[in-house]
Amino acid sequence: MAFDQRRMKKSVTAGLAALALLLTGCGGANSNTNSATDGDSDAAAKTVPAGVDTNTVNYALPPNATPNWILPIGVAGKMATHNSSIHQALWSPMFTFDGSKGEMAMDTETGIADKVEYSEDGKQVTFHMRHMHWSDGEPITTRDVEFWFNLIKANKEQWGGYKEGRLPDNITDVEYTDEKTFTVTFDKVYNQDWLNSGQLASVRPLPHHAWAKTSQDGKVGDADRTEKGAKEIFKFLMKESENISDYVDNPLWKVVSGPFTLGGFDNSGKVTLEKNENYDGKDAAQVQTVNLLPFTSADAEVNLLRSKGIDYGYIPTSLLNQQQQFQANNYNMDPWEGWAITYMPYNFNNPKMGDVFKQLYVRQALQSSVDQSTISEKVWMGGANPVYGPVPQDIESHYLSDTQKNNPYPYDIEKAKQLFADHGWKAGSDGILVCESAGAGDSDCGEGIKEGTKMELTMMVQNGSEEADKQFAAIQSSLREAGVAVSFDRAPLNSVLNRTVPCEADSSDCNWQFSYFGAAGSWYFPAYPTGERIFATGASVNFGNYSNPKADELMTKALESNDPQIMQDYSALLAEDLPVMWLPNPVYQVSVIRDGMTGTTQDPTGNFFPQRWGWNK
Amino acid sequence: MTTTAVRDNSNIRLFGLFMIKRLVQAAVVIAIVSVIVFLLLQALPGGPARGILGQAATPAQIEAFNHEMGFDLPLIQQYFNYVSQWLTGNLGRSFVMNEDVSSLIAQRLPKTLILAIAAVGGALLVSIPLGMAQALRRNKPFDYIITGINFVVYSTPSFFLGLLLIMFFAQLLGILPASAPQGNTVGEILAQPKEMVLPALTSGLAGVATFSRYMRSSTIDNLHEDYVRTARAKGTAMKRVVARHVLRNSLTPVVTMLGYYLPVMFGGALVVEQLFNYPGMGLLFWNAAQTTDFPVLLGCILVISLATVIGSLLADITQFILDPRSRGGVK
Repeated sequence: MAFDQRRMKKSVTAGLAALALLLTGCGGANSNTNSATDGDSDAAAKTVPAGVDTNTVNYALPPNATPNWILPIGVAGKMATHNSSIHQALWSPMFTFDGSKGEMAMDTETGIADKVEYSEDGKQVTFHMRHMHWSDGEPITTRDVEFWFNLIKANKEQWGGYKEGRLPDNITDVEYTDEKTFTVTFDKVYNQDWLNSGQLASVRPLPHHAWAKTSQDGKVGDADRTEKGAKEIFKFLMKESENISDYVDNPLWKVVSGPFTLGGFDNSGKVTLEKNENYDGKDAAQVQTVNLLPFTSADAEVNLLRSKGIDYGYIPTSLLNQQQQFQANNYNMDPWEGWAITYMPYNFNNPKMGDVFKQLYVRQALQSSVDQSTISEKVWMGGANPVYGPVPQDIESHYLSDTQKNNPYPYDIEKAKQLFADHGWKAGSDGILVCESAGAGDSDCGEGIKEGTKMELTMMVQNGSEEADKQFAAIQSSLREAGVAVSFDRAPLNSVLNRTVPCEADSSDCNWQFSYFGAAGSWYFPAYPTGERIFATGASVNFGNYSNPKADELMTKALESNDPQIMQDYSALLAEDLPVMWLPNPVYQVSVIRDGMTGTTQDPTGNFFPQRWGWNK
Repeated sequence: MTTTAVRDNSNIRLFGLFMIKRLVQAAVVIAIVSVIVFLLLQALPGGPARGILGQAATPAQIEAFNHEMGFDLPLIQQYFNYVSQWLTGNLGRSFVMNEDVSSLIAQRLPKTLILAIAAVGGALLVSIPLGMAQALRRNKPFDYIITGINFVVYSTPSFFLGLLLIMFFAQLLGILPASAPQGNTVGEILAQPKEMVLPALTSGLAGVATFSRYMRSSTIDNLHEDYVRTARAKGTAMKRVVARHVLRNSLTPVVTMLGYYLPVMFGGALVVEQLFNYPGMGLLFWNAAQTTDFPVLLGCILVISLATVIGSLLADITQFILDPRSRGGVK
């Protein structure tokens, strides 16, 4: 999952709710009974300042985050959370699985599913749908669910959420019992957290009666039941989605099931959501209008915030020392912690240093040279948290092993020096370590490492983040102390991502050694944080080509077993084996929320829920 | 045919030849610029796919994207595809913004031009009389004070200047808004004149400094011309001499400079756009560069190249018309 990039800083605001993770793997609907205000920021308890329009909420989108896709079937490059959050506001999924109500859980109140039941063998999931209607009065039925499945099956290569072997490949049957009940049968037993959060949460009824056609004037029919028909319908819907200036007037997008209808969607990125008066679900909008405001820069947004033109905005971490000023303007700060990890992959196939990185002692020494606690405190001003392994640590969860939690490689330069010394590295006249004992013995540098190899590293780092620059200055300094020379190759984020590719040693694009793209978190997880996409052998986002058969085995088991120990073992293994260099994980943003605003519990997976936003009455 | 008629015909012919020559040059320049920019973009490492699709994109998705956008074709074919599209007015499509490039430019360019005209227009209204006043009071305290202020304004980074203006007028006094007009159409933007004040000031103050210096120099030169001495000797009041003769002649370099300013106007003011939340051409280009959005980059370069060439042409035409010495024709 990709998120927008900004500079962040964590607030130390009291009252920040600690988010606990609940498992909902025992089947049945698991609607969260917490009230909408549980976990709200301090803002909710305060009086609404005079002059505030309590029929409206103005929300600041991240800088240059322009909503650009209306079709609620995401495609690659259009999967940003501001797009998916808008989709969710207009077209309700069956359920969501997030932390929007204070705890990570399945939430059926947001959706159309009244109840979700697992069979005894765990391979079948039965959905019981609520009696809800589309905004044009037509009932929402299993035919609308079937429509979604048919489109996804026929066009899975274009679906941004598709991975080979996963939905819909792993479904053997979908049986539509009646208009409100359907059962999905999977090819095998899967972990229910993973299934719920990573697969079934994608299921979203689409208005078959309005969309199952191949032109605006075309007839609606059952063409989606054939592969050819489903492809043609999808092509039509994609084409209609390419005309942003037509979104508001296009009759397709007027048929919604969610708490909002589309009031405006202009080319500059401003989106207006209007309360859907025909919504008959359980998650109705609390205000009449929500404006999602685009900004060209964080400075432009802060200027408007200072002028009190925004209800729910954000500030860069550099402004945290002005907290009192914002409070005097009737705002509260509430850091938005993300369900994410931040890291720098090693390129294990780099022709010059790949063999060096393959040595565990080298990775241990390098990790021991990174003082995450100090960097989090001093550089990120508390706006980041140390990460010691593959499971997000900002929020407590039972996926987190004690090994990872307690940090197997605390900051210790002397230990780093000793590790190198024990393996045949000696500092030259310039202080940089040189391999003097080539070979694969216990006290040698390691297999494939030639004598005379210098410990000189190049780190490809995204530019544009002051905190990231300072962080790497600190890392460079401490690594130098250990005898490791570091130089930087700075580039815009997209350039860094373009160049960070899994590669073979003899290919021309394999010259990168380290890559940092984590100024706002490197990888955000769905609620069940398995790492098969980033750490499994051959995975497309396993940029450095890390490979560990034991890790592969655990990641596979984690998807197919409900034994909680497996995730703990996985967490411990990768914390110790260091597939990447773990780095401090910045918060998603430091939110600034106007007094009196309610429903602002922030979902760690990065989605926002405009239907919850309201005002203290 | 009289000598005057012969001279006029000769000048028309000269002007015609001049225009043809410049138009041919313009076409060649635009072609060369487009090739250079196209090749430079291809030299960017990694290609645009992963940056646009995100780090989670699969190789299959990247391949599909490259195929859809034509990035897997030979370079020459890609270039000629772009050129043949341009000739039909099709500037391609931005995958990142999910819009046609021509639509994006059509939305952003008017906003940029409105800001530029407001900034430059305001700058000229102030700098022309200011420069003349300085020339008439040359080396007097007034002249020194204005020169000093001009230097300070000219050396102040526009970002800092903009922040100061926002802090003072929007946050402290609360008399002007902190954001530029937020409308999408020209009408909507023009309907919010108050919102345009601070952005135009931020963008235009440096122009006041520049234009007034030119005006001052040009006026001083003209005040020493024979025709001024002659007019004064004939008893014409100085005010009338300045208003009717000196002003017109002193404007030549300023008007000529405006022609060269055209590409700057089309290119947008990135800093002002970022600060005042006013998405124009500057930000469009900047964001396209950050996301390696090739079609947008090429489209913007094309527009700015055209503006440069047209601006230069207008400047030369203005000079041709205003200054007979540049015609090189029959006297």
